[in-house]
Amino acid sequence: MSTDESMTARPLDEVETHLSDWMQAAQHGDADAYRRLLTTIRPRIRAIVRSRIHEEAPAEDVVQNALLSIHRGRATYRAERPFGPWMRAIVRNSIVDHFRERKRRGDREVELPVEEWADPSGPAASTEEPLAPELAKALAALSDGQREAVTLIQIEGLSVAEAALRAGVSAGALKVRAHRGYHALRTALAGAREGGEWSSAKPPPSEGGSSRRGVR
Amino acid sequence: MELSEAAALGRWVEPARSAMRDSSERLIRGMVEDLEPVTPLPRLRSAFAMILSLWAVLLGVVLWSQDGPSAMGALAADRVYLAAFAGLVVASVGGTISALAAGTPGRERIEVWGMLLALFGLVVAAAACLVAMNAPDADALAAPMGADGMCFRGGALLALLPGGVILSLLVRGWALHPVRASLLALAASGSLGSVIVHMSCGIVAPAHVLVGHLGVPVVLAALGGYPLVVILQRLRG
Repeated sequence: MSTDESMTARPLDEVETHLSDWMQAAQHGDADAYRRLLTTIRPRIRAIVRSRIHEEAPAEDVVQNALLSIHRGRATYRAERPFGPWMRAIVRNSIVDHFRERKRRGDREVELPVEEWADPSGPAASTEEPLAPELAKALAALSDGQREAVTLIQIEGLSVAEAALRAGVSAGALKVRAHRGYHALRTALAGAREGGEWSSAKPPPSEGGSSRRGVR
Repeated sequence: MELSEAAALGRWVEPARSAMRDSSERLIRGMVEDLEPVTPLPRLRSAFAMILSLWAVLLGVVLWSQDGPSAMGALAADRVYLAAFAGLVVASVGGTISALAAGTPGRERIEVWGMLLALFGLVVAAAACLVAMNAPDADALAAPMGADGMCFRGGALLALLPGGVILSLLVRGWALHPVRASLLALAASGSLGSVIVHMSCGIVAPAHVLVGHLGVPVVLAALGGYPLVVILQRLRG
């Protein structure tokens, strides 16, 4: 069993000192300590999240958002304070954000049947696959931020947290940009379809391409 | 669940799980690569002491420019003056501590207690003014024309410096509740500015104290709350 694995198996109080030391080292730029810290706390964060969110995919999103918040807010950790309550406050906030967002989205979206969006045997989205000319044109017309968000999530297939880290913004801001981008794309593609510009080679994509939800 | 359905679900559940694991691992790798040294925020008590020192310097400058708090001795006998003074001091202390705690995850208890203390201070001070305004001899006390606006402007101006320090710490921090943090920061800085005005202003008319002194934290929070939330969220990405 590696050091990191044995750490993740112990109660948080026992590893509190290590976590605090690693975070202090990470604040000074020690990448190895930071990797150990993140690897150790990830299962603990997941356990907290899964006790409140039972679906796997949303729970994983919240875990990633919490990790990203820890990364962005690492300057707020102080060595004389215990690490656990600091981390749990961030995780709790990510869970609350998730429920708040789900409530907001629930008012305007409907769940699609699983078979309409999840077929692993089907062709996966790939960066090598060329985009339809209409889609490429609509994508080019988006603002830089929206284009980056849509490209990272839908074309490169990154999670929201990964995309947010890459774009250098918070997960919330990236979601807003992506949703605005989807809306603009949908409007542009609907206009192209009505104007008869739509290529017969590819059908128009639905909202968000591989999104699991449809927008009413 | 039918066996065939379970098998069909299993066909996409496992790849999805594996994709999520990979995604988390990629995120951690990305975070490690993105790691840069950061300076931890100052301790809550150090930050509070810094703001208090700054406030004391401002108070000293204002009182010195007015040849000292000459009227304070006589004013101290006035119940409205004392209630407003105590309320503003409580609001300043509670609001400042709460705003500073709002920028640090895990300090929610301090944040909530500070916020309640600040609210209590402002409510007590406002109630004292309102009671005095409805007293039979209230008409005898009236502020000169333009005094309300002058004190209000003075309070808002004096709030700039401590407010700037509180806001800079808030921006560097990670406010889990940006709306609450913004309102607290503005109310706290308004209260700090108002205490100085209150100590240097010789007018004890309850309506003047209510509008010109106690109005500063309330109006600053009401007007600046939304823009500040937007700024905080923009700066955070």
